[in-house]
Amino acid sequence: MIDPSLGLPTITMAVPMPGFPAHREFVLVRLNDDGLLYAFTSIQDPELRFLVAPPEPFFPDYAPEIENEVFSALNTRDADRLLLLTVITAGVEETTANLLAPIVVDRDTMRAMQVVLSGSGYPVRAIMHRAY
Amino acid sequence: MLVLTRRAGESVMIGNDVIITVLEARGDVIRLGIQAPRDVQVHREEVFRELQAANREAASPTEDAVRAVTEMLQTPEE
Repeated sequence: MIDPSLGLPTITMAVPMPGFPAHREFVLVRLNDDGLLYAFTSIQDPELRFLVAPPEPFFPDYAPEIENEVFSALNTRDADRLLLLTVITAGVEETTANLLAPIVVDRDTMRAMQVVLSGSGYPVRAIMHRAY
Repeated sequence: MLVLTRRAGESVMIGNDVIITVLEARGDVIRLGIQAPRDVQVHREEVFRELQAANREAASPTEDAVRAVTEMLQTPEE
């Protein structure tokens, strides 16, 4: 049987993504050489994938505060090992990034969740511009 | 829908491990405290619905859309 993860490390959702309760395991497939764009791909159904990107190059002022509950859900020991990914909605007219609810991945425990930054005022659809 | 009457300080249990406590009622604003296991996410309904819609919209983009985003994010050749 072919391993759909292609040998990439499996990321387990501590809490499923809203709208996709059945999908618990994902892999992060790199889509470009710069490491700016990834496909967060369901292992159960590789047809399901989300475009994700590290937000820093696009939103330099974006500095969300991650609450302790997230650390405990991800079994985080070292906060520096957390990777923040913003979910991108690719459209013909415009492409937006969900800054309200980034996916947070702990690179040690390989657990992840989509964290809602309640009260932060960050938008669900922030328009993305070129990285340069 | 099950309807219960509770006073401030009283709680409702859902299953074995979700406890919802009425903290304060002032006019039409009710403050609730919610205790739930860490794998149970608690959201305001409208926030959850918006997120669900945004996720569904973002899910499984077409190859063309992926290509467009890839091109947009491409760093120009030095």
